[in-house]
Amino acid sequence: MALVLGVALAVGASGHQGPPTPAQRAAAIEADVRCPSCEGISVAQSSAPTAAAIRTLVAADVAAGRSDGQIEAFLVGRYGPGILLRPSASGGVGLVWFVPMVAMSLALAGLGTVFWRRGRSAAVVVAVDDEDRRLVEGLLAQRRARRRPGANRETARRHG
Amino acid sequence: MVVLVAGASLVAVLATRPPATATEVDTPLLGQHAPLVDGVTLAGQRFSLSSWRGRWVVVNFFASWCPPCQQEEAELVTFAYRHRAPGDVAVVGVVYDDTAARARSFLSSTGATWPAVGDPTGQIALDYGVRGPPETFLVSPGGVVLVHLDGAVTAAGLDYWLHRAAAGSK
Repeated sequence: MALVLGVALAVGASGHQGPPTPAQRAAAIEADVRCPSCEGISVAQSSAPTAAAIRTLVAADVAAGRSDGQIEAFLVGRYGPGILLRPSASGGVGLVWFVPMVAMSLALAGLGTVFWRRGRSAAVVVAVDDEDRRLVEGLLAQRRARRRPGANRETARRHG
Repeated sequence: MVVLVAGASLVAVLATRPPATATEVDTPLLGQHAPLVDGVTLAGQRFSLSSWRGRWVVVNFFASWCPPCQQEEAELVTFAYRHRAPGDVAVVGVVYDDTAARARSFLSSTGATWPAVGDPTGQIALDYGVRGPPETFLVSPGGVVLVHLDGAVTAAGLDYWLHRAAAGSK
């Protein structure tokens, strides 16, 4: 069942849609351009005169064969980069996206290094020589002897 | 004594500030050649901004329904009268989302005598990056946009920016 669903999703997502029509292109651009005289809505959503003028411009430029970049560049050249609802990833604005990702990556790498070093230090084996072994075995033997029942009486009898 | 000096300093600072409700806007057009203002005026005559190359020009986007436009119109009339000498700074209006009849009536009621160009498709406003009236642009004799003002201007304010722009362009 899961396999069938997966295949169906893959086919649906990769379905052949073809290039966008001029109307679709214009609509997509209009959805990305802020209405200059409004608050936070696109020219596609606004009935303001400036929004209508921009829609007219976009439709004419799309029909004239200009690319999305050219159309947006014209509007940015008139209204500034804030005219686009989608922030640019280039220039200084790109740092807003880039810096947090780099900082997060460095933080994760740092944490990983700290945990790795702690793990290594816990696993460090100290070299033990024969004298250390004899010392430890002697101490262990004494402990075993103290734990055996009657060990004290026997010890006392031997040493009278 | 300290209070007197502080007061005098405050007065000096305030006296040199541009006395206008309009705010100067930093837009990509500053320092660029002024977009075309070509069209038919409310008086039915052809107009082209390029025909005024060689003199300072105030391009004023307005509408009859816009309260700040109503507020600044008398100031613009005063400014235009002050600079009425031939070759002095000129004013041209651009109608923003308004009917010709209402715009004409608005200008005549305030005594404005400068040409006002119709912009029925909003293309001129788009070319200038206008968000909404009133917006005013100061164009140099060389045809470069030097100042962009948002809001109601005053005659004194326009004189201040004109003087500053002229000094900066020397």
